[in-house]
Amino acid sequence: MRNRASLSKPSRGLVASVAAVLAGAMAFTAVPAQGASTPGVSDTEIVLGMQLPQTGPASPGYNKVDDAMRAYFDYVNSKGGVHGRSIKLVVKDDAYRAGLTVSTASALINKDKVFAMVGSVGTQTHISVIKDINRRGIPDLFVNSGYSGFYTNPKKYPTTFGGLGTYTVEAKILGKYIKETFSKNTVGIVYQTDDFGRNTVEGLATAGVTFTPKKTAATFIAGTQAGGLDAQMQQLKDNNVDVVVVGAVASAFAAAVSSANKIGYKPAKWIVISVGADATTFQTILGARGIAPAVSAALLAGTISASHAPAPGEENDEFVKAFKKINDEFNKGPDKRWDNNVLQGMNIGYLMTSALLGTGKNLTRPGIISYVKNNAAKLSSAALSPLGYGAKTHEAYTGFWIGQYDATTTLKPVDSPRKVWTTDSAKGPVTELKYTRPAIAADALPKVG
Amino acid sequence: MKISRMRKSIATLGAAALVVTLGITTAPTAAATPTCTTAAGVETCKGSLANGAGYEFRMPANFKGVMFFWEHGFRSTYPGVTAVPKGVEEITPTSDLTGQNVTKEMMLAGYGVAAYDGTVKGLRGWNNTFRVEMLKEVIDIAMAKYPRIQKKVVYGSSQAGSIITPFVEKYPTYADSVGIMAGTTPSIANSLQSACDIFYILSVFADPTIKGCSAFGVKGVPGHMASVGELQKVVALLTAWSKNLGAPGLEFPAALKGSGIPQRSALLLTGLLTGVPTKSSHMDGISTNAVIAEHSINATVAVLQNIGAAVATGVLAGQSISESTGPNFYDNTQTNWAALLDEGDAGRYNLGLSGDEAIAGMLGVLSAAPRVTGDAAAVAKFKALDKSTFTSKHPTILLTLEADRLVFAGNTARYVDKKREVYEAELAKWEASKKGPKPIWNTLSLTTMTPETYTKFTAAGLPDLTGPGAPSGVGHQTFTKKQTKAWVDMLAVAARSGKVPTTKYVEYLSTKVPYLSGDSDYRPADLKYNFG
Repeated sequence: MRNRASLSKPSRGLVASVAAVLAGAMAFTAVPAQGASTPGVSDTEIVLGMQLPQTGPASPGYNKVDDAMRAYFDYVNSKGGVHGRSIKLVVKDDAYRAGLTVSTASALINKDKVFAMVGSVGTQTHISVIKDINRRGIPDLFVNSGYSGFYTNPKKYPTTFGGLGTYTVEAKILGKYIKETFSKNTVGIVYQTDDFGRNTVEGLATAGVTFTPKKTAATFIAGTQAGGLDAQMQQLKDNNVDVVVVGAVASAFAAAVSSANKIGYKPAKWIVISVGADATTFQTILGARGIAPAVSAALLAGTISASHAPAPGEENDEFVKAFKKINDEFNKGPDKRWDNNVLQGMNIGYLMTSALLGTGKNLTRPGIISYVKNNAAKLSSAALSPLGYGAKTHEAYTGFWIGQYDATTTLKPVDSPRKVWTTDSAKGPVTELKYTRPAIAADALPKVG
Repeated sequence: MKISRMRKSIATLGAAALVVTLGITTAPTAAATPTCTTAAGVETCKGSLANGAGYEFRMPANFKGVMFFWEHGFRSTYPGVTAVPKGVEEITPTSDLTGQNVTKEMMLAGYGVAAYDGTVKGLRGWNNTFRVEMLKEVIDIAMAKYPRIQKKVVYGSSQAGSIITPFVEKYPTYADSVGIMAGTTPSIANSLQSACDIFYILSVFADPTIKGCSAFGVKGVPGHMASVGELQKVVALLTAWSKNLGAPGLEFPAALKGSGIPQRSALLLTGLLTGVPTKSSHMDGISTNAVIAEHSINATVAVLQNIGAAVATGVLAGQSISESTGPNFYDNTQTNWAALLDEGDAGRYNLGLSGDEAIAGMLGVLSAAPRVTGDAAAVAKFKALDKSTFTSKHPTILLTLEADRLVFAGNTARYVDKKREVYEAELAKWEASKKGPKPIWNTLSLTTMTPETYTKFTAAGLPDLTGPGAPSGVGHQTFTKKQTKAWVDMLAVAARSGKVPTTKYVEYLSTKVPYLSGDSDYRPADLKYNFG
């Protein structure tokens, strides 16, 4: 029944609501419009936001990146912060569900009032918020996704900058290696039919490595791999594929290896795009299926992959040494075991600190976007490749070295001395990179300008 | 689920339509003096406009000078779905979900309220031109009767957006502030084109006998019955999908039969190409379980529920509109289906769409399917419906549901964009001359959000579509009392100050009113079409 107006029994709530109206009326005129101050920046603090799967099936491995980033920021804060401001990292768990990515982005922007987003993880998730983040002019820095579509058209996403090399660049470089090394083999691929897989296939094709649909190219829909990839592996086996490229996330690589084992399919070589070959993730997923670490390590051994940074097992690398020490002292996360995810988290923290330092004391959103875009050469990091940021692209690392996992799950270079290869996300050639990484300072803080 | 209720409605509709006699028209008569009574401190006056439509005023003893004039939304052309109202249906904003209004609260606040029956006799349907003049008449009568009125708020819901906007442009002195709740932009053509696309896409993927909007436009009962026939075809599809969740493979078109693409992927694609929200009253687009194994399947059920709940009103409104444009107002010869799929949606809902290969396959067959060629004159009339200049300077406050199933939230974004274009041009002109008062931005868009998650599952693991739905942000004209009252209060203050509230105030208010967004920069997904 609909209410009928009556003044005979005014409730306490209604009286309160009248009072609220009056208060509201005052507030209309008494409260000035929002000032021009930069959100998330005060005299003493810079608030940064990050989204990633901390829980759920997609979380293994990735859920260590945020703790590593925070550890590096805590280290910076212990040294006085950046231009006198401490860095606060607010992290939201989206469980790799895009709906939660949307709502948690809103919370970071409107409730936590972050200055910038940094290091967010995931392609399918980030694609759900990238347009809105850019529309609002919020810096979207060092995204942990290799999808080239986020970076290669800066007019479309002017505030977004990558934190990984693109899948296309990596696939082109791996493609060159495949052409040169496995010309006598039958090379096939299993890939997820989305942005990630599409980038991979495009990159390989540019390098001259192509596949026949339904024969040497097996596909699956991202998100269905938990049910196994038996049919895909059977298809590749039936077509005598003996070198399998994997253009998919680590859970899919683990599923492919499991399924291949199950049907007695033993390809001579697995070649996996780096995010799919993360050892921690691979072993965690197989561990959840009851496969012992020693067995999963043996399954990974011999796999070819690539990296833009030193391998976490390179004990003598100066960045590895410094980051490892900071991780030991400052990482308060539940799993601080040193691995590729921790190294990447530390590296993004280092990169972000560089960007904040370089932008200067007068920190604004347009200011940091402009600085990152125009000063890629000054933004050093642990990577063995320079950053590609500029007016034409916001891609991060344009170089990768190729390695092979050993029995201890360490990626070791296939060349000696290690060669780093570079290319672009378009049709440019793959060439050897001559790059000398700037040294890390004794205090492990970036020095800019 | 509402579909079962809808089927009953359709049966009633069919029977009722047959007994509709030829159009009843009444010769205009002079407006009668209203009859007034007073009870519990409120004077209630009822009267008739010159054309016989009823109006009603309620004036509290503690009247503080602001009078609200309410404009209700769409009522179908032919009685049957709902009874023909005898008098004023809504005196103040009323939730379609709970039936609750804010009349009592408005009386206590000292506001006067007025409303009229915009559905009188032959004037039901998309009758905006009539209602602009009827609204003026209501205000004239109120002003004559109550000289104490200092400020006038013109506010309304849904279709009212297509009445109020041209109204305040034509009669600028008849309003001091303007409120549009879940309203059209005012042009309905952009939204209706997407609605017609839904029929078309379903005809390609699910039922080739569907003619959709091409069946609309014949005047009178025959046209009405033709549109109901199309509605029944869609309801049959949705009913089947509500039982099997669209799991079977596509049977249509022949090129995709046996492809393994489930019907639900085509349903989700239909929703994404047409802008149907991926949250509904019971589906949050996020929650999963063993049956709804991935968020995009949750979103697919949301599309199903939204289309099911909106299709009857959409069809009846479409038929009503087509009676003024003429048949064959729908033309999709220039539609680029691939361009209608947002890149973010393709990525976010990739699994629900069955991956890139399935997306390409479905878009490919849509692109190759025979197009609908409209009648040039009808198409032109259609695109010219409800045009507005957006030059009104009144403080205007829009109130929108995050996931409105009928008038998509993108209508609000379009309204704000249009207003901003005019404002920025005027500002640039002023900057150049520095003459006269500096233009001010005087439009505020408020959005009520859904909770983050709210889907519930039955013991069998299926989505529970029968229990209480989300408390906010879904449905159509389903704002909570607190949200509505907050909007009304802002309109009252804006009428006095001549300005919309500050973003800081909205941010503050969002901490007091559950699910009211304090994000002044929030922007919903855009409408798929912009006919200018």
